[in-house]
Amino acid sequence: MESQPSLELLPGTLYLLILRTLNHGPLHGYAIVKRIKEASREGLQIEDGSLYPALNRMLVKGWLAAEWGVSENNRKARFYKLTPEGRKQLDKEAGEFGRLVRAIQLVMRTA
Amino acid sequence: MAFWNEVGNRVRYLFRRSRFDREFEEEMRFHIQARADELEQSGLAGSDALRQARREFGSTLRSGEATRSAWQMFWLEDLASDVRYAARALRRNPALALAAVASLALGIGANTTIFSVAREALFSEPSCRDPHSLAQVSTRGNSWVSMAQYRFLEHAHVFDAIAGVNIGMVVNWRNGNRSYRLAGTHVTDSFFEVVGIPVAMGRPIERGETDVTVVTYGFWRKRLGGAPNVLGRTLVLDGKPYTVVGVLPRDHRMLAGFGFTPDLYLTKDPGEVMLYARLPQGIGRQAAYTRLAPICRELDRVYPDVNRKWAKEVRLSAVGGTERLEGEAGRQAIPVVGFFAMLVIVTAIVVLIACANISSLLLARSFTRAREFAIRMSLGGSRWRLVRQLLAESMLLALLGTGAGLALNLWLTRLLSAIHIPTPLPIELVIQPDRLLLLYSVAIAIVVTVTTGLVPALRATGAGIGAAVKAGGRETGPAGSALRNALVIGQLAVSIVLLSAGLLFLRNLIQATSFQAGFDTSHTIVATVQGPSDRRKFVDSALERLRELPGIEAASPAYAVPLNPFLAFSRERGPLRPDAGSRSVRVEYNSNSVGPDYFRIMAIPILDGRAFLDSDRAGAPEVVILNENMAHRLFGDTNPLGHILRFPDNRDARVVGIARNSTYVNLGEKDAMALYVPFSQQAVRGYAHFFLRTRGAPETMARKVDEALAGLDHSASVDTRIMGDLFAAALLPSRAGAAVLGAMALFGLLLASIGLCGVLLYSTQQRIREIGIRVALGASPGNVLGMVARQSCKLVATGMCSGLAIAAFAVRPLSMFLVPEVRTTDPVNFVAVACLLAVVAGLASVAPTIRALRVDPAVALRHE
Repeated sequence: MESQPSLELLPGTLYLLILRTLNHGPLHGYAIVKRIKEASREGLQIEDGSLYPALNRMLVKGWLAAEWGVSENNRKARFYKLTPEGRKQLDKEAGEFGRLVRAIQLVMRTA
Repeated sequence: MAFWNEVGNRVRYLFRRSRFDREFEEEMRFHIQARADELEQSGLAGSDALRQARREFGSTLRSGEATRSAWQMFWLEDLASDVRYAARALRRNPALALAAVASLALGIGANTTIFSVAREALFSEPSCRDPHSLAQVSTRGNSWVSMAQYRFLEHAHVFDAIAGVNIGMVVNWRNGNRSYRLAGTHVTDSFFEVVGIPVAMGRPIERGETDVTVVTYGFWRKRLGGAPNVLGRTLVLDGKPYTVVGVLPRDHRMLAGFGFTPDLYLTKDPGEVMLYARLPQGIGRQAAYTRLAPICRELDRVYPDVNRKWAKEVRLSAVGGTERLEGEAGRQAIPVVGFFAMLVIVTAIVVLIACANISSLLLARSFTRAREFAIRMSLGGSRWRLVRQLLAESMLLALLGTGAGLALNLWLTRLLSAIHIPTPLPIELVIQPDRLLLLYSVAIAIVVTVTTGLVPALRATGAGIGAAVKAGGRETGPAGSALRNALVIGQLAVSIVLLSAGLLFLRNLIQATSFQAGFDTSHTIVATVQGPSDRRKFVDSALERLRELPGIEAASPAYAVPLNPFLAFSRERGPLRPDAGSRSVRVEYNSNSVGPDYFRIMAIPILDGRAFLDSDRAGAPEVVILNENMAHRLFGDTNPLGHILRFPDNRDARVVGIARNSTYVNLGEKDAMALYVPFSQQAVRGYAHFFLRTRGAPETMARKVDEALAGLDHSASVDTRIMGDLFAAALLPSRAGAAVLGAMALFGLLLASIGLCGVLLYSTQQRIREIGIRVALGASPGNVLGMVARQSCKLVATGMCSGLAIAAFAVRPLSMFLVPEVRTTDPVNFVAVACLLAVVAGLASVAPTIRALRVDPAVALRHE
């Protein structure tokens, strides 16, 4: 399937995307990538190599918790879910990101 | 909070690294497999799908590394490796490491123990509820009031509530047909409620109760057998039954502080009480004071006292912590605080001497490694990294030393907690380790790390790369040896200071034990009687009975016992008017009322005039005897005999005798004034001491005296002691000071001599080549000996001179603890100390000299 090359992520937005994706419920790593890809209509492609370092940094910060479970294909998989701190962080980052985007759009339209 | 969670997560990771790696691999496998499944569904063959998925994922190795680094704490792991490296370095030379740790541990153990004792004795919080709203009340500069004034203040409702306590009363406990003396504390029925003293078992004394007692933990365990059914038991105290209602916890700390521990608290009319008040909610001590002042003026109206106004020097002082030392008790505690401060400083100096040894050792080692460091730096190692590695070594030593020192502290404080000082109100300290001790030790460890490690580390890494590589492990220039010489000189200098202080205390102990107190105690017994029903009659019949006892030469009543802080002279202040004239002299003097035989019993000579007579009784013209100082102060060079002295309350008394100066309150006092009045011309108080002179040894007579007095009146409590024993308290500071200072000074000297020996050995080692050449060119053993001796003498002489100069000033404040005969400026002290140091330094130079003499030129010239 040929499409436009996927976009570079803005710095710092990877956390926000992961947090938002996990807001509906626990997912394993592969599903996170897939969900982000689908939700962005193939616009955002998270590199597999940078996903896991990011997930682990979020585990260290206590925003996520991980536990082993069984995937839809009956395989053993590690599922990540939001902790209460993670939910707080999501609210904070989503608000900040919204303001940033609006501000940038304003500049783009008027300047 | 979030930060600590994160640190916690990272630390947890440290312990689960292998599991983490396993799980991460599994997760990668799943991820790739999941992608391959998907590709297969879209039509790719199984093996192609897997390959494609792997390619898409990229390097699992790099991904794993990046993931792991999310968890790692690099500084902690670096630290761990530094410490491991340092531990290896120490293990390579275990004897040296052990010596370093042991010397640190002894110094730190002594220092922290003194810290613990001082903290417990001076700054501990008393066992009470909310100490901030509790205050000790003093009126007319004195915390004691009689029960009449107590009730007046209680009804005035200035405070939420007040309570009174009389500590250190002797109580007779009749158990079976034997009597025991107990240290009882008399309290008003409100005391436990107002102060809020927690009890371990049973309940506190409650308002309205008259014959109940709460016993302390120690008394319950030791004297009542620790029986759990002690509550409800009856104790016959001073002839009256009291019911035990409670037992205090083991760490009960009395309001009076200083580790004072009675046997029991009981409700008995104390006669006089120390006053404590619970301040109303939200009222500070300052605000309460403004309420109290008018009430005290009212007291002056109701209970007028010519000598002193109640409203004068009214004060509310804190009951716990450092604040307590600001008030009246604080002034009394100054010598105690000073004493502890001195011991803390002395032991800290010993720790520093030990640090200097270690620093010198590390310095020597760092020079031998200078080449290694230079190479590492030239290969791009950062200087900070190397300094950190060297600091890790001294940190490890500091931690081991502090840890061992703390272990020593725990052991010593446990020993000290078991000690029972038999003052009239016994002193027992309950010393427990606490957070403050831990903080203090951490601070010590940091100071030790920095003082031992920083200079060697900076020097070792500071040398220019080229120079260090060329010099190859030998001393680079004179700077290094100059530094170590300076350390040794410093050690020797402070050893001199310590030795001077130690010697002063030793001489003080000898002087104090041989007792130039101005009176004789070898044949004296003192019996203290409290609360007989008819006091005047009791004294007369007691004297009669005592004089009949065989073996008693003389007996006399008195109100004060010299050199005893608990049965002390009353300090009087006031303008006295000689010859009842207009000239008034303000003096502060010690006052005692004594019987006719007192001067004979105490062997205090009457230099002029006469002692008191039986005819100096109540109703007869009042007379006084002055000591020499007092006579001189009041009357100058005129002979005061027959002159009249007018007291502030306009009483007149005639001077009938001059007694020789002696000591009154403590051994260190100078030019103390004293005034004696006849016992029977003084108002009757609730207690009296009987002084007895025995013909034989006083030990055998004490029991008989005790029985004779106890048989007279069953409501009275009697406490009989040999006078020499009573002075134990007065000698305590000299004993403790001599022991601690002496031990510390010798230990410091030992460490300094080890330091000297080490430096001489090292510099001999550095000069082996030079010595070899000299010997080959014909230097005699005498020349070689001279080389070492010159260096040793230079170090010792410099250290000794600077030490003596410092000591001459540093020991001056010690005169506060010393008897006047031991002068801090006495040159004999300094000469003795200098000789001792010279001898020890000579001994420390023996090993290096032998090493230098054994140098074989043939071997030495090949030495590298």
